[in-house]
Amino acid sequence: MALSFFYLLYSGVMIFLHFPELYWGKVGFQGHPAIFKLEDWGISWELAERLGDRRWGRNYHYLFAWIFVINGLVYLLWNGVRKEFYLKIFPRFSELSFKNIKRVFIFQIKFSVKNDDSMPGYNVIQKICYVFVMFVLFPFMIISGLAQMPAFTAISPELIDLFGGRQTARTLHVVCSLLLVVFFIVHLVQVFASGAVKQVRAMVTGSYVGSKSEMEVQK
Amino acid sequence: MKKFQSSLSTKRVRLSRREIIRKGGALTAFLMTGCDSQFYKPPVLRGGLMGIADTLTMATQRSLMSNDQLVQEHDPREVTQNFPVWNQSNPEDEDYQRLKANGFEDWVLPVTGLVNNPVSISLSDLKKMSRRTQTTMHICEQGWSAIATWTGTPLLSVIQAAGGIKPEAKYVMINAFGGWYEGYDMFDVSHPQTILAYGMNGKDLPAGNGAPVRLRVERHCGYKQLKFIKSIEVVSTVEHHGRGTGGINSDFGFHWYAGA
Repeated sequence: MALSFFYLLYSGVMIFLHFPELYWGKVGFQGHPAIFKLEDWGISWELAERLGDRRWGRNYHYLFAWIFVINGLVYLLWNGVRKEFYLKIFPRFSELSFKNIKRVFIFQIKFSVKNDDSMPGYNVIQKICYVFVMFVLFPFMIISGLAQMPAFTAISPELIDLFGGRQTARTLHVVCSLLLVVFFIVHLVQVFASGAVKQVRAMVTGSYVGSKSEMEVQK
Repeated sequence: MKKFQSSLSTKRVRLSRREIIRKGGALTAFLMTGCDSQFYKPPVLRGGLMGIADTLTMATQRSLMSNDQLVQEHDPREVTQNFPVWNQSNPEDEDYQRLKANGFEDWVLPVTGLVNNPVSISLSDLKKMSRRTQTTMHICEQGWSAIATWTGTPLLSVIQAAGGIKPEAKYVMINAFGGWYEGYDMFDVSHPQTILAYGMNGKDLPAGNGAPVRLRVERHCGYKQLKFIKSIEVVSTVEHHGRGTGGINSDFGFHWYAGA
């Protein structure tokens, strides 16, 4: 999943560099009023085009999109059947009070990554983030990607109308990918801060092995 | 199989839009129910995971598609004023320059290969055949998009003017000046919006956009929309053209199927 995320991002950047402007609405091309130009950030069109590689980018973008989607479906099915989402990821109603979220937020800001005693597993902000990423951002990436495909315009013109145009879909696809990058960085920081080796071991084996005191907290 | 053949081999040239759609539908029905895997995968598969991904993309899209579906047609008022000119804008071929100097009066379109009755169609004859005008969006794989009104002859009508295809025919290879060429399967060939366009925004097709005739195959990205068309050849295999992958773009490593 992380590998395909990395390759999707990398190949996406390669594709973007080959046409480093973003537009809003149905049409957009070099010379059309853009809402974002890489040129304004000191990277000329020519330089960006040299850095990018849309042939390589397109090929790998689709390859890893498939790996990502198939992986994601297996993950959803597996965890859905085992009620893992219900038990661990979906926030409880009792957690969703403003007071509680504020408390956890302050806790996080202080970079105190020791487990909060009152809450085993993920805290409420983590839960909200994970739900948002898995059930909002990922599907949004897929749908805004599909909306850019000419074959899908034929299959479902509604899809492109939903976005208000192909260029809007393209722009939102890029914006959404930036949100995912932010999430990914924060996620990595959290993993490292809370002990990368233990966390990765837990990801692979499925059970978290901490020190004795942490184990008690988990209970 | 009979349905499939009849849809492409009638000798009538004039077809109403409804008829084309109906025939396209019959073709699709055949292809969907038939065991013909060429509908779901490119003519030549790339090796390894890339070939699998190509097939997954094409098969998924194709399984959702039918020739009854038209791509969105826009209001002519939405036409992009300065439509971009990309790739070659003036092929250097001597032949092309000679035709261009004469206002393309001597331009003829040979339709050869696995057709029952090979023909050469002049530009004025092409304009007399059934006509379709559509305002559609050109989507370039680079990222840009622009809207134009295209007027032309359905490719299906041109193939039918050549007596339709022989049973072993699988792909239509279109050659262009400047050494460009692309292959298309019968599903795309028989789509009602697949036209050989000679008009753009109510005028003759401008030089930079592929004069005198270009292809519009609306369910694909820009690189399948061949400009400066020279000849049409119906084939059973793509391996004798270029590097044998079915098109100049796939020769250079792009997907043959440009629906994504």
